Amino acid sequence: MLENIKKEFSTRILVLIPIAIAINIAIGELVVRLKLPVYLDSIGTVLVGAIAGPWAGALTGALTNLIWGLFNPFAAPFFYVAAVIGFLAGLAGKRGAFENESPRWLSVLVGAVFVFSLTMFILAFSNASIDDTGFTSYPSMADLFSQYAIIFVVAILIGAAIGYFLLQRGGYAGFWGLITGIVAAIISAPTAAYVFGGVTGSGTDVLVAAFRASGAGILSSVMAQGAVSDPFDKMLSFMVVWLILRSLPARFKAR
Amino acid sequence: MAIIDLRNVTYKYPLTQESALKNINFQVNEGEFVAVIGPNGAGKSTLCYTVAGFVPHFFKGELSGTVEVAGADSSKSNLHEWVLNVGLAFQNPFNQISGAKYTVFEEIAFGLENIGVPRDEMIPRVNDAMKLTGISELADRSPYSLSGGQQQRVALTSILVMHPKVLVLDEPTSQMDPIGTREVFGVIRTLAEQGMTVIMAEHKVEWIANFADRVVALHEGQIIEDGKPQEALTSDVLAGKGFGISRYTSVARKAKETGLWKKDKLPVTLEEAVEGFAHV
Amino acid sequence: MNTFSMYVARESGLHKLYPLTKASLTLLLLIAGLTLPVNWAGYFLVLFVIFPLAIWGKVFKNFMRIVWSISLPFIISVIIIQSLFWGKGTPIFEFWILAPKIEGVIFATISVGRIILVMAGFILFAMTTRPDALMISLKQVGVPSSLAYIIVTTLQIVPRFVTKASTILDAQRSRGLETDGNLFVRSRAVVPIILPLVLGSLMEVEERAIAIEARGFNSNREETSLIEIPDTRAQFILRRIFMVLMILSIIARVAWQLST
Repeated sequence: MLENIKKEFSTRILVLIPIAIAINIAIGELVVRLKLPVYLDSIGTVLVGAIAGPWAGALTGALTNLIWGLFNPFAAPFFYVAAVIGFLAGLAGKRGAFENESPRWLSVLVGAVFVFSLTMFILAFSNASIDDTGFTSYPSMADLFSQYAIIFVVAILIGAAIGYFLLQRGGYAGFWGLITGIVAAIISAPTAAYVFGGVTGSGTDVLVAAFRASGAGILSSVMAQGAVSDPFDKMLSFMVVWLILRSLPARFKAR
Repeated sequence: MAIIDLRNVTYKYPLTQESALKNINFQVNEGEFVAVIGPNGAGKSTLCYTVAGFVPHFFKGELSGTVEVAGADSSKSNLHEWVLNVGLAFQNPFNQISGAKYTVFEEIAFGLENIGVPRDEMIPRVNDAMKLTGISELADRSPYSLSGGQQQRVALTSILVMHPKVLVLDEPTSQMDPIGTREVFGVIRTLAEQGMTVIMAEHKVEWIANFADRVVALHEGQIIEDGKPQEALTSDVLAGKGFGISRYTSVARKAKETGLWKKDKLPVTLEEAVEGFAHV
Repeated sequence: MNTFSMYVARESGLHKLYPLTKASLTLLLLIAGLTLPVNWAGYFLVLFVIFPLAIWGKVFKNFMRIVWSISLPFIISVIIIQSLFWGKGTPIFEFWILAPKIEGVIFATISVGRIILVMAGFILFAMTTRPDALMISLKQVGVPSSLAYIIVTTLQIVPRFVTKASTILDAQRSRGLETDGNLFVRSRAVVPIILPLVLGSLMEVEERAIAIEARGFNSNREETSLIEIPDTRAQFILRRIFMVLMILSIIARVAWQLST
């Protein structure tokens, strides 16, 4: 085990990690400057995970947020989330998600499942009702499907289109990105809710406000916001890394 | 006695078809200053990396033949032991800054810290090395705030301070002005006279002619010429193969065809050209 | 080029403390503020511990400016969202669709205390500790030097990259690439920035690795250090006390959680 961990940290990887962290922070800041509703601050982390393995990925993620915390204290408490993202990217790399080309139907499926679940999630929240004791009840899935059938069909079509045109042959990477995003949303919510009162000071706060207004608790509002933003963001980041690794000369990848 | 001894060395980088070095036989004596010339892709850098141990230890790939430096066999050594005998500095100075240090002084001490030189020995060694290469006044500057030429000097000093037996330099003056280049060649010449063995890949043939003891010409991974600078640099073998040849040599070669250059030997430097034409 | 930190050079007792002493104090403040079962612990610690330390460190004015400018967006966000969008509660007043709830305001105030504590703790530490000194002290207590290398190198290259990204952005702009406008337009602007930035820097990796290996980076000899940072017995004991306090405040939290 320890031997395997050590093997991930060759001199090349030790040199790559600072560059990866700098990429995370530089692009993360850029995205804020362009006011985009994504983070894209884990491309470097995913890259190290993909090239070196889970432990190097985890270290890159954790250090990114801790170092970013030196001038953006909001990032620091989420270091463990970033570490998990890097770790999962490493597992994805070990499974060949960044090397193999997926069939296009898989990309279509990943895209469709993603947008479908997202839609279900948002509708479930916006249709939740609170009774007098403050207990929140959600509508049943059957009700939702019959009520919003057309919306669901449209969502699946949009998702399929995203899969076909955006993911293309990176279906495996996209799939792992999706999984990673869901995990990230779940584990970051407690910190966001507890330490920061559920807000980030960025554009995604609007979502938290919307969920709060619909009656959801702080923790579930934050989680819901994460469930909307994170999977898409991580799917995008995994895709970008897949693209980068494909355009690298073969010599670089030979470790 | 040969301190560098390469026998029948053939090497292929991973995932490539063509060998970068083909059947190289190359011996260098202690205290010799050997310049390696050749067009881009001829194998200059690969030869440097081989002597410095990075081929094959860092790059992997397939190496056949034997590589011996200072009595040690490359196939039986580790890179971290090898670099104690052989220092390497290369072209791009920016990538040679460790990034882990805030001043030039600390940057130069980085290697000494790594190999465990005690602190009270470290400081005089850094001071001496900086004095040698003429960068003492940069000691407190940030390595990132320097010009390309200054950074190249820092990179060279960072290797010299480790007192290697063999110094391998891959175009170490590419970003220096003529004054800086002259100074650095002068320093390397002095070191060679003190017994350090120097291998330098270099394009600047006029400087080589003035300072090196010997020139090795590489073409498509093979040594096609090996001799005294004057002879090697003017050899007909190099003609038409994309070598950077001194303009004085080219002029004299043309002049020789029309009978204007009377001497047997072609010139490399301005002085030789002036002298040769003076007899016309 | 500036190194990437908020460090402000001053001659002060706080600056002279061993970096690890400051690091463990910061950690203690954060853990105590977030775990102590007292809702107002954040405000208390900021007011009675962090502010006096900032004055002792002779950085109070800069410190306040930075804390204020970084915390403000979060504070505004928390207050608006938690007071106006609080689901069920006692409204303070009702005006048009606005009905801030008392419970929401209280929750927001507690949250603001925590936010300020986290910000102020990190900022004061970063302002009074040189990153390289922190790394050297970590090495002195046995943190692997490869980890120290990663951290210090990162601190040096991040500003370069942030500048590089802006430069590429400006270059794309001057070539007519739109970076303002709707979401779609702005999204399209990112791709031509990311790829050159990442690919270009990956090409550097090999040479940088060779350069440090040539300087004995992988040597298995015992490392030495050019700079040594003095520690004192008193500070060593102080750090142990901080550690005990951290554990106590976590225990207090768990005990309180179990009892309610």
